[in-house]
Amino acid sequence: MSLYVYALVGRPVHPPLGRGLAGEVLRLVEMPGLLVVTGRIERVPRLTPAALRRHDATVRRLATRAQSVLPVRFGTVVADTVALTRALRPRIAGLREALKLVSGHEQMTLRIYGDAAPRSDDRDEIARGSGQRYLARQLRARSVPEVDPLRRALQGLVSAERVERHERPPLLASVYHLVRRGDSERYLATVAATCSRLAGVRVSPSGPWPAYAFAPDAVA
Amino acid sequence: MKKKQSVAKARQILGEADASLLDLVDHVLNKGVFIEGEVLLGLADVDLVYLRLSALLCAADRMARA
Repeated sequence: MSLYVYALVGRPVHPPLGRGLAGEVLRLVEMPGLLVVTGRIERVPRLTPAALRRHDATVRRLATRAQSVLPVRFGTVVADTVALTRALRPRIAGLREALKLVSGHEQMTLRIYGDAAPRSDDRDEIARGSGQRYLARQLRARSVPEVDPLRRALQGLVSAERVERHERPPLLASVYHLVRRGDSERYLATVAATCSRLAGVRVSPSGPWPAYAFAPDAVA
Repeated sequence: MKKKQSVAKARQILGEADASLLDLVDHVLNKGVFIEGEVLLGLADVDLVYLRLSALLCAADRMARA
């Protein structure tokens, strides 16, 4: 038997937690400053659409039982609680910070399609030193000028943002927003009202999701 | 052998070009807390899934506009 790991949760947690992917009863493993939701399973679940949906459904149900839920990536299995503690102990401080950030929130996702906005003058780029070029690249990887008007319109609803540029047109970027629970309808209405003013891009929103993209290492 | 099976399974899943499923794959498989343990897909496979995910998200977008 191994432990399948579903999510990290903050207190308070309101049982029952229900059952997991294989119908197993979910249990809390207590660690200093955080709780881990696990299920005992006999074998690693196979990667199927149904299994992905069950994992997501389990994490969503946990979100009704706790204010702070940080999902763990699908397919994560450890031998036992000792192995789990060994894996998480060095990262507890960062994970507790992330749990605090997502408390009372859910995630909305925007896929941005279209033509990339013109980049800064390439001659300036060449004139820069390697350090400056590196920083400029890092900054560019986290910016989506194509949808700046939309991001401004959403400012009052968004508590945190993660951006991932894809550079594989027509998919330009994915933008992940953390919004307060219950604000997703207003968020979607704002997206719908603002998108018509964006030139050359199309925005496809989805959500609410559990805060998948707000794990400390979720977006490169 | 195991890696080949994982890749084949990922292809089978991503072959069903359903935008909501692709979003599900991106969130559930590519995001979330990464804990060292026995992960079903190795890191290389996850990268592969992600490449195909981006390609299919683009394809789904084109189909939606057509």
